[in-house]
This record gives sequence, C-alpha cells and structure tokens, in this order.
Amino acid sequence: MPRRVVLALFGCVLFGALEWRPAHPGRPPLRSLVADQRLFALERDNGCLDEATPAAAPQAWPDWAAAHIAGGDVPPARVIADPYPTLHSVAVDAVNDRVFVSDPNRHAVWSYDRRAASKGSEAVTPLTGIRGPATGMMFIAAVTVDPAAREIYTVDNDIGDRMMVFPYDADGNAKPIRALSVPHQAWGLSINPVRKEIAVSVEGPREIVVYAQNANGSDPPLRMIRGPRTGLGDPHGVFFDSKNNEIVVANHGNQNGRETAPGSVAPARRGGGGERGALVGGRFDEPSITVYPGEATGDVAPVRRIQGSKTGLNWPMAISVDVGHDEIAVANSGDSSIRIFGRTASGDAAPVRVIKGARTGIHGPMGVTFDVKNDELWVANYGDHTALVFARTAAGDVAPKRIVRNAPAGSPTVGFGNPGAVAYDSKRDELLVPN
Amino acid sequence: MHGIFYDPKHDEIVVPVALGGAVLTLPGGADGGAPPLRVLQGSATGLVQPDTLYVDVAHDEMIVDSGDDSVLVFARTATGNAPPLRKLGGPKTQIRNIYGMSVDSVHNLIVIANRVDLGGRESSDGILIFNRTDSGDVAPRAVIAGPRTGIIKIRQVVVDEERGQIFATIKNNFENYEASAERPSPWNPDKTGFIGVWSINDNGNVPPRGVIKGPATGLVWPAGVAINPKDHEVYTIDSVSNALFMFRTPELFKKPSPVNDGAR
Repeated sequence: MPRRVVLALFGCVLFGALEWRPAHPGRPPLRSLVADQRLFALERDNGCLDEATPAAAPQAWPDWAAAHIAGGDVPPARVIADPYPTLHSVAVDAVNDRVFVSDPNRHAVWSYDRRAASKGSEAVTPLTGIRGPATGMMFIAAVTVDPAAREIYTVDNDIGDRMMVFPYDADGNAKPIRALSVPHQAWGLSINPVRKEIAVSVEGPREIVVYAQNANGSDPPLRMIRGPRTGLGDPHGVFFDSKNNEIVVANHGNQNGRETAPGSVAPARRGGGGERGALVGGRFDEPSITVYPGEATGDVAPVRRIQGSKTGLNWPMAISVDVGHDEIAVANSGDSSIRIFGRTASGDAAPVRVIKGARTGIHGPMGVTFDVKNDELWVANYGDHTALVFARTAAGDVAPKRIVRNAPAGSPTVGFGNPGAVAYDSKRDELLVPN
Repeated sequence: MHGIFYDPKHDEIVVPVALGGAVLTLPGGADGGAPPLRVLQGSATGLVQPDTLYVDVAHDEMIVDSGDDSVLVFARTATGNAPPLRKLGGPKTQIRNIYGMSVDSVHNLIVIANRVDLGGRESSDGILIFNRTDSGDVAPRAVIAGPRTGIIKIRQVVVDEERGQIFATIKNNFENYEASAERPSPWNPDKTGFIGVWSINDNGNVPPRGVIKGPATGLVWPAGVAINPKDHEVYTIDSVSNALFMFRTPELFKKPSPVNDGAR
C-alpha cells in the first residue's frame, strides 16, 4: 500500500488545546440567529478583520414555537480552533515586489512586501488582507497574479466553486471584480499571459479546464483535458508554461471508481452534472507530473510523464516552472520536501535537487513558486504558520534565507481545512477529525 | 475525506477515501504514515466515490456510501475487491446524495442523511430510516423531512442507541451556486447551522426534539457530529470556522417521549 494513502487521515486532536471560552452557567433561550459574534471577535482580535459586524437579519424559522425543544443557544464547553491564518498557496510578483498567499483557515488572501521577513519570533504585518462577507471567499485554495494587469486570482475548493479576481489594491471586505463559476473540487490556477488563458485543475473529475483569462460569470471553458488516456489522477498543482506552450500538472494519483468520461463535458457540480464513465473500481496510482501541449483538448496522452520510485513524489500539492533554467519545483507535502526536476525529464527520473530536513523548516508544504528575477524559491507551509524563502539553487538540509511568519513562532497549527466529520475514540478519550 | 468511524470493540479507525474509491481500516492508535490494516477497493465493491460510512459492530458489518446514490453493506473485515453483501438503492429508496449514515443496532435500523438539491437554497433534504437488513429498491420505513424539521443541507448523523435518538448536523446553507446567485457566506448571520436531535421513532415533517443552535453556540456550518453519552457531550466540527466544538448537554441525552408531534 502506498504510504500516501495513509496520510489521508489527518488529525487526532486532544481536548482543550485552544480553549478560549468556559461554559456558561446560564443559557440564553432559543431565539432567531444573529451575527456570529465569536467568529468576528476572534478574527478582529487577531487583526484579521477590520469591518464592522453586519446587522443581524431575522430568520423566519419553522413553526417551532409550539414545540418543546430541549437545548437551545448553548455555549460550548471547549473549542479547538486556530485563530491565525494558515498558508496554502503562494504567488510572487517580482516586478512590484509583492507576495500573495491564500488562507483557507480565515478565508482570506494576504499580501506582503516581497522583502519582508520576521526578525525573530514575531509575525510580519501584511500589506493587505482581503476577507469578509463581500469577498465571497470560502474554502480558498490557489492564488495567482497577473502583474501586468495588477490582478489577483483565487479559486475555491470543495465549497464555493468559484474563481474570483481582485485588484491589487483590494483590502478588507472587498468585492471581486470578476467571479467565474468553475467545476466542483477546483484546486490549482495558472495564467498563460501569452495565450491570455487560465488553467484550473479539478481533483475528483480529474480534468484540467482552460478558460479565457477574462472569463466571467457562467462563461464556459475553452477546452478541457480529460479522459483515461490523459493520465490525470487527482490533479492539484498546475503551471501553464507560456514560453514552451505546455501545461504541467502535479497528480496525487488517486482514481475513483468510475473512469472519467473522455473529452470536454459540462462542468460538474456537486451532486450532479458531468458525464459518468464506466465503473472500473478505484485505484491508487503512483503520484506523477504530466505535461500536455498548451492547446491540448479532450482525452490526450501527456507528452511527458515523471512517475516512479526514484521521483520521491508523495502528495505533490503545487508546482512551478523556471523556464529560464528549465526546472520544475514541486511542493511535496507527503515528505515535507521541495523536489526540483529537469523540465524535460520523463519516466522514473530522480530530482536534480531536494530541499528537505530539520534546518529547512519545511513542514507540509502546500505552495511553491520560483522568483526568477531575484533567484529565489518561495515555499508556503501548511504545517506551521510560515512562508520560507530559499536561494533558487538551495539543496539538502539548508536554512531558508528569510522566514515570513503570520503568527508568533511556536503557535500551534490545528490543521483543520473544511473538515466534514468527527468521531469519538472512547478508548483513548480522543476526537478524530478527517480533513 | 468527509467521513470517519472509530470501532471501539476492535480498536480500529475506518475512513472512506472518496478520491480513490476505497475504504481504509487503520489501527486505532495509527499515527503518521502507519499503513492500513485493510483496503477495500475495486470494481466488484461498487465503490465509486465514498464520502461517509459506519461500522455496525454488533452485526460485524460495514455500511458504506457508494458515492453513486446507494448504500453498500460489507462484512466488517471485507478487504480487496470484495463485493457487498447487500445494496440499498433505487427510486423507491429516495436515496440521492448521502452525507452521513449510522446504524441503530438496538432498533435494527439504518439511518441516512440524504440530500436532494433543488437549486439555490432549496432542497428536499432529510433523514431516511430503513430496516437494517433492507436490500434493493425498497421504500424507507420513515422519512424525517419538511419545513418544520428545519433541515437544509444535512451532514453527518449519529445515533444514541440507548435512548433511541438521532443527532444530525444541519448546515442550513447551500454550497453551490451560479456566479450571479447570492453568495453563501460564512459571515451571513441569517444562515448559520445547528445540531438537531430527533427520536428514532419520528416520522414526517416534525420539529427536532432538541437543538444546539444560536449565537452563543459559535456554530456556522456544523458538518460532523459525534456523541459521548457517558459524559453527556456532543462534539461537532465546523467546516467554515474550522473549529471543533464540544458541548455538555445532559438535557439532550434523555429518552424522548413517544409523542411524535403536536404536544411537543
């Protein structure tokens, strides 16, 4: 059994790790819902939210007034949560010296000065933070930027199903200037400025969906790469290489029980849509990097595929291509490493460099991107509250050049990300939470 | 992963892997890269994209969402490409998108959290209750659904077998929408979710017997629910605030009255 499948089980959290409110002796009666003061208060305390709490709107509840209903507006006895942003995806604009990171924990996009660094254990103050009800951001995954147009692109994964575009100067509770419906389980984003197109990776349907860069609303995709010949398996990171006109994809390798219907289909929504392929049974294929021509459409085989035991690929979450030095960087979350491959490598190829080890500070990386102009490599850690900056050619167990913290050093990272279930282990008196 | 089960008798953790069409069983104390004890996967299993599951320890069976609008029942220790013992699905069952499942081995019932999206915030979600050994395309013996239930976007369900109660998480919002539609927002105070409690004998468009609901709860979109009857505690994980809440609610661990509605 591949080790990566076991890593799918996340979290085994002890009680009371972040208790912030004791149980109330008295309980207010059941009443109409009002603003979630706690969520706002917590985020405002951490400087995550500057907006005033919106006015509460009454909700017409079902005819419960005559019913005898136990419980009610019960305060929790204990709560575990991470009050700080978590880092997911990272994008660097070397022209304007800005760095953007997505934050699925607080539903936000934060920007920093590219040269910012924590001097010690303190957090770095972001330049901007886009978050709040007007943003529409939900379980935000990828972020990328168009430095020429000074636009920020983000996409929601699992809940949300939208790509949103904000101007560079957006801050606080800002509305997107464009919002595009994308398939359910979208993850990665990459812009090809030459073709004026944007590629979106989609996990479960195992597809790469290409839109016009200025697509908006319910605009349909220009084309899809999809089908059993593509070798796509639970794709995550995607990079649209404008110089070589190629789409480079990082695949986890998971294949669900139905074969993908080949070719372009209607974008699938949760609970319906899309076309259903034959029932073939699920598989855990080896993780891979697959490469397609920029104009590829339908059920096409990759022009190159990096896959096999020498690659060390394990939960490849994000991918970046340095077209000047012909290298591919992979955020390899499964073993907390960054793996660098030759851009034209194929087959069971070993990486040309690996950044890994205790000194690197790499912990569950979700994001990686080259900053070619400044000869640097950025890594976004999901496993703690840091983004790391390495020399582009860094290798082995080396310390980063700079660390950007978004929480004081040592702050625990709970790791919840759109959690959907919980179980009680009565033997160990523990709670189990899958992400 | 949107499901998980802890089997206290055999000290095992069982999880569905939707993206791999599989069910993994791990040791109860598994940590890090511990390998699974068993992997159920393959074309004979009927597993497509399983989101949730439950282990019926009393009858040594495993109840799994196929990810294809049906319930598959396997031997608890099924492994490899093993076919299900029973399959429950079809138009009479009303089973559509399964978001949670539980077994009441005392009353010999299967409880399904079922979603039927009708577009926007509209849905016909509910709790479907079947006889434990039902198979094929059979009607549920009870359906808890309708406007008086307050069920909009149901998620996980768990049964307190001793008292005959169903605990369900209700997100009370919608997740998918067109770009032009109103945006579901984690900050929208009008549409936060709750935990509802029904009797295992309830049927129809009936209010919950108990709730955890309101601003003091801190809940936004509660997704998962687990109970600890011994300590009278209810646990829920919230998919928007990314927080784990623990409530001590003795009043929710009382045997419900036999009255179905009206007097409540």
